[in-house]
Amino acid sequence: MRNFQVAIVGGGVIGSAIAWELSKYNINVVVFEKGSDVASGTSKANSGVIHSGINSAPDSLKAFYCVKGNQMLHSISKKIGLEVKWIGKYVIAKDERELNELKRLKKVGIKNNVPDLKIVNSDKVNEKNVNCKSALWVPTAGIVSPYEFTIALAENAAENNVKFLLETQVKNIKKTSNNFIISTNKGEYKSDILVNAAGLNCKDIVSMVEEPDFNVYPCRGEYLVLDKNYSSLVNSMIYPVPVKELGVLGVHITPTIEGNIILGPSAEFIEDPDDKKTTKNMMKSLLEEAKEIIPKIPDKAVINAYSGVRCKLASEKEGGWADFRIQESKKNPNMINLLGIESPGLTAAPAIAEDIKKMISKKIKIKPKQKFKTAEPKMKRFQDMTKKQQTELIKKDQRWGRIVCRCEHITEAEVIKALKNPIGAKTLSAVKYRCRAGMGRCQGGFCTQHIVRIMEEQFKINFKNITLKSPESNIFYRRNREEKQ
Amino acid sequence: MINQNVDLAIIGAGPAGLASALSASENGINKIIVLDRNDWLGGILTQCIHDGFGVEETGESMTGPEYAEMYIKKVKKKKIKIMKETMVLDINKKKEITAVNKKGLHKIKTKKVIFATGCREKTRWHIMIPGDRPSGIYTAGVAQGFINLYNKIPGKNVVILGSGDVGLIMARRLKFEGANVIGVVEILPYASGLPRNVVQCLDDYDIPLYLNHTVTYIRGRERLESIKIAQVNQNMQIIPKTEKEIKCDTLLLSLGLIPENELAKKIDIKIDKITGGPIVNQNLETSEPDFYACGNCLQVYDTVDALSIDAKKAGKQAAININKKNGKKSKSIAIKPGKGVRYIIPQKIDKPGKIHMSLRVKKPQKKSKLTIISKGEEIFNKKLPWVNPANMVIFDVKITREIIKSSNTIEVNID
Amino acid sequence: MKKEKKCITCIVCPIGCKIYYTIEGNNFELIEGNKCKRGVEYARSEALDPRRMLTTSVLVKNGEWPLVSVKSNKPVPKKLIFKVLQKIKTLSVNAPIKSGQIIIKNVEGSNIDFIATKTIKVIKDN
Repeated sequence: MRNFQVAIVGGGVIGSAIAWELSKYNINVVVFEKGSDVASGTSKANSGVIHSGINSAPDSLKAFYCVKGNQMLHSISKKIGLEVKWIGKYVIAKDERELNELKRLKKVGIKNNVPDLKIVNSDKVNEKNVNCKSALWVPTAGIVSPYEFTIALAENAAENNVKFLLETQVKNIKKTSNNFIISTNKGEYKSDILVNAAGLNCKDIVSMVEEPDFNVYPCRGEYLVLDKNYSSLVNSMIYPVPVKELGVLGVHITPTIEGNIILGPSAEFIEDPDDKKTTKNMMKSLLEEAKEIIPKIPDKAVINAYSGVRCKLASEKEGGWADFRIQESKKNPNMINLLGIESPGLTAAPAIAEDIKKMISKKIKIKPKQKFKTAEPKMKRFQDMTKKQQTELIKKDQRWGRIVCRCEHITEAEVIKALKNPIGAKTLSAVKYRCRAGMGRCQGGFCTQHIVRIMEEQFKINFKNITLKSPESNIFYRRNREEKQ
Repeated sequence: MINQNVDLAIIGAGPAGLASALSASENGINKIIVLDRNDWLGGILTQCIHDGFGVEETGESMTGPEYAEMYIKKVKKKKIKIMKETMVLDINKKKEITAVNKKGLHKIKTKKVIFATGCREKTRWHIMIPGDRPSGIYTAGVAQGFINLYNKIPGKNVVILGSGDVGLIMARRLKFEGANVIGVVEILPYASGLPRNVVQCLDDYDIPLYLNHTVTYIRGRERLESIKIAQVNQNMQIIPKTEKEIKCDTLLLSLGLIPENELAKKIDIKIDKITGGPIVNQNLETSEPDFYACGNCLQVYDTVDALSIDAKKAGKQAAININKKNGKKSKSIAIKPGKGVRYIIPQKIDKPGKIHMSLRVKKPQKKSKLTIISKGEEIFNKKLPWVNPANMVIFDVKITREIIKSSNTIEVNID
Repeated sequence: MKKEKKCITCIVCPIGCKIYYTIEGNNFELIEGNKCKRGVEYARSEALDPRRMLTTSVLVKNGEWPLVSVKSNKPVPKKLIFKVLQKIKTLSVNAPIKSGQIIIKNVEGSNIDFIATKTIKVIKDN
C-alpha cells in the first residue's frame, strides 16, 4: 500500500503524537522515520520534563501549547499507559537579585495561566540538601520518560493502523496538482497531505518542496546521569534562576521516572545536527555547577553521560530564542510544517497534535473510528508484581521465570514482548527503551548475551543483522567458526 | 510458592560456590542447595578456555572448563542439589531466600547462607570516556563470552584498554582468531597483568603495549570508527599535545572487576570500601551472623587456586557451625591495613588460632618486610623479596588468645 | 652465522630477572642475569626451541554449545602456532564430546594432539 492521505515525516514525539491523534479517525496515515525506532533523535535525549509554562514568553505558541499540553497530559497519560510523576519544581534564588528574577518568572507564569505558583523562603523549601535563599514553587511541573512517551503514542497509533516505516528516509518530494510524491530510500509513496515533523531535518524537508525562509541552528545539550543510590538527594526538580552570564550553564537537577537524577542540559551551538558527543569539559562543568546547588553529590555518583540536540530557529548571535512555527506552507497549503520544536516540545506535543488534526480536518473529511483500540494499561514490570501475579504468569508461560537482566530483574518474556512491538523496531536499543534490560549498573554485561540469543532463536534475526540502534551499528562481525554445509 | 528448607544455601555455582558446597558436604551437611542464574555450572570458568588454572592446587595447568569440571564431578558425586537458571530475587536477615526459575517462585529457608556471587566488569562510564556512543564497545569478559561460547567475533580492528590478565588474554585470543589487534593501552607505567601473560599474549605476537596512556575520546556515529589515546603523567593526568587517533572498529574495556554484592547489601551487610566485598572474620562470616562470603564477591582473586582454598574454608565453617546458636558475642579485633597495605582480609578476628590472611600492597616494591603490630609490639614478620599490587600476598599467622584479649586493632605494614 | 646478544625477561617466577645470553645457530651461551637455574633453562628453551601451550575452539555439530574448547597436549613450537591454528579452524566434531577426548592427532605433523577441555552433550530438541 503506497497511497496515503496523511504522510508524517519524523517519528519523534511530535510525529508520534500527531499519528496517535489521527489514528482515532478513519484515514490512512503513514509515518516515515529514518531511524531504526521511534524517538531516535531529540525526543529520546532530553530532560523528560513536563513543563508548567513559566519559561515561555507570554502570548507565544510555546506558552500556549505548553500549558495546554500540560493539562492534557493528566488524561492522556492514562489513555496510553504512560507514567507521569507530578513532582513539581523549585526555581531557586541565592540572593536578592535572583529573588527579583523569581518574581518576574511568577508574573510570566500567571500571564501564561500557570496555576498555584508560590514564592517561598528557604525554610519552607522541602529540600534539605539544596542551597538557596528563596525559591519559586511550581507544582504543575512533572516528569516522564521521554522515549516511553513517544513509544506509547506511536505503538497505540500503530495498533490503530497507522503505518510506521522505520529506516525509511525521505529523499525527495514532488508536489503535483493534488498530492505529494515522496521518494524514500525504500521506494515511492503518495500522500494528499504532508506533515513535516522532521525535527532537526525540518529544513531539509521544506527545501524539497519550496525555498525555506528560515534556518536551523542545532544546539547540543549534554547530560550526566547519577546512580539510583542517590535518588533521595532531591524530591522535586531544582532549577537555578535563568542565567545571563557567559560560561555559566545554569544546570538543572531533574529526578527521572526510574529513580536516577540527571544533571543538565548544557547549551552549545554546533554545526552538525548529528554531533551527539559528550565532552570532558561539559561533564566537568555540569558536575561542578550541580555541586554548588547540592554540595552532597559525590563524584562517583555519575554513572552515564549522553547528549541531545535541539532544533533552534534563532542563532546564538540572535539570542537563541524563537517561537514554535506551526503552520501550513503558504505556497503549498497541504504541507504542514512544524519548525523549531525544542523545549517545551515534549509537553506541547499532545496539544500541538490536536491542532494539527483540526488543520487536517479542514482539508479532508475525517470521521472518528468506530473501534479505536485503546492502549493496554502498562503492564507492571515483573519485579514490581506481587508474588501471586508472578507465579501465575510463570505458570502460563515459563519464560516469565527466566531472568535475563540481572540488574533490573527483567524476564525473558518481557524482552520478547519488547521485540514484538507493533512498530517493528528490533534493535538492542529498542529492547532497552521498552523494558529497560541493559540500563542497570552492569550496562548490558549479563543481558546482552540473552537478548542476542532471544533475537536469534525466537525472532530468527541473523546475528549479522543484530544492531545497537541503527543499520550500521552492528554488534558482530562474523562467526568464529563458520558452519559448513 | 515452592517452599524448601535446607541447612545451607549457596548463591552462585562458579568455582567459589562449587568449592564451598563440596567442603560443606565433606564436613557433614546434607541439605545443601546451590543456586545459579546460568544454565551451566562453573560460572565464568566456562568461557576461560586458556590454561593456567589449578597449577598450585593440582600440579597441572588446566583450562578454566577443566578446572570447573573437576569440581562439578565431585559436587555431582556428593549428590548436592543444584538449581540452574535460577535467579535470587530477594533475601532477608531471617535467612529466607526468594528465587525464581521456569518452575516458578521459590522460597528457601536456610540455616546458613554463602554468597558466592562473583563480580561484574567496570564499564566505560566508570572512567567517563567522552565522545560518541557507537556499537563496537565491549567489556573484555562479554567479548570473551561471545567468542568462546557463542561462536561470534565482535569486530576486526581491535584496541584493548587495560592490561589486566583478562585484557591480555583477549588480545591473544583475538589475534588467534584473525583479528587485527592494534594494541593494548594501559594507564599505569607497568602492565597490571602477570608478566607471563605480557610475554605470551603480547610479546609473542608483537602486539604493542602503550604504557602511561589512556583513551580520551571515542568516535563513531553508528559503529566505532576511531579512538584517541593520550599519554599521562605520574599523577595520571593527560599530558597536553600527546593525543593521537587510532582507527579501529572494536574497543575492549578491561578496566577491572567489581565484587557483586547487591544481594548482600539488601541485608545491610557491612562492605569494605576498598575491597568492595563484605567485611569478614577468620571464618569468612560477614557482619551478619550465619551469612558467609567467598570467591570474587569477597575480593578479586589472582588465581582460582587461592580462591578455592578460601571457599572451602567458608563451606567448612558454615558446616561445623551449622547448629551453633548465636551465643555471647566474643571479643573481636580489627585488622587494619597499615603502611603500604591497600587492604587485608579477614578484617576481623574473634577466635585464636592459625589465621589465613590475604592482602594487596599499594605499590610494587623489592625486598619488603611484612610486620604485624599489636599494641606497639611486633607479633609477626615475614620477608618478601618482591611485592606488587597485582599479586595477592597470602600468609598464615598465629593469633593468640592474649592478643585478642588485649588489643582492639592490630596493624599490618609493608615496608 | 652471526653471534647475537639477546636479553629476555624470565617469567618462571614473578621476580622477572633480565637474562642476557648469546645465540649463534644452535649454540646458547648464558652471559648473566639469572638468580636461579630455572631461569637459565627458561632462557635456553626460549632461545633455541620456544614452545607454547595452545588453547582454542573447534566447531561442534549438534551440541548444546556451538564450540568446544580444546588444548594442545603438549607445548607447540612457536613457529608452528599459526599453521596449527589454521588447521584446527577447519575441523568440526559431533556431539557428544567428553572432556579429554582427542579431537585431532598429530596436527600438521607436529606430533601434538589437541584434546577437548569441555564436555558437551547433544542438543535437546524442544
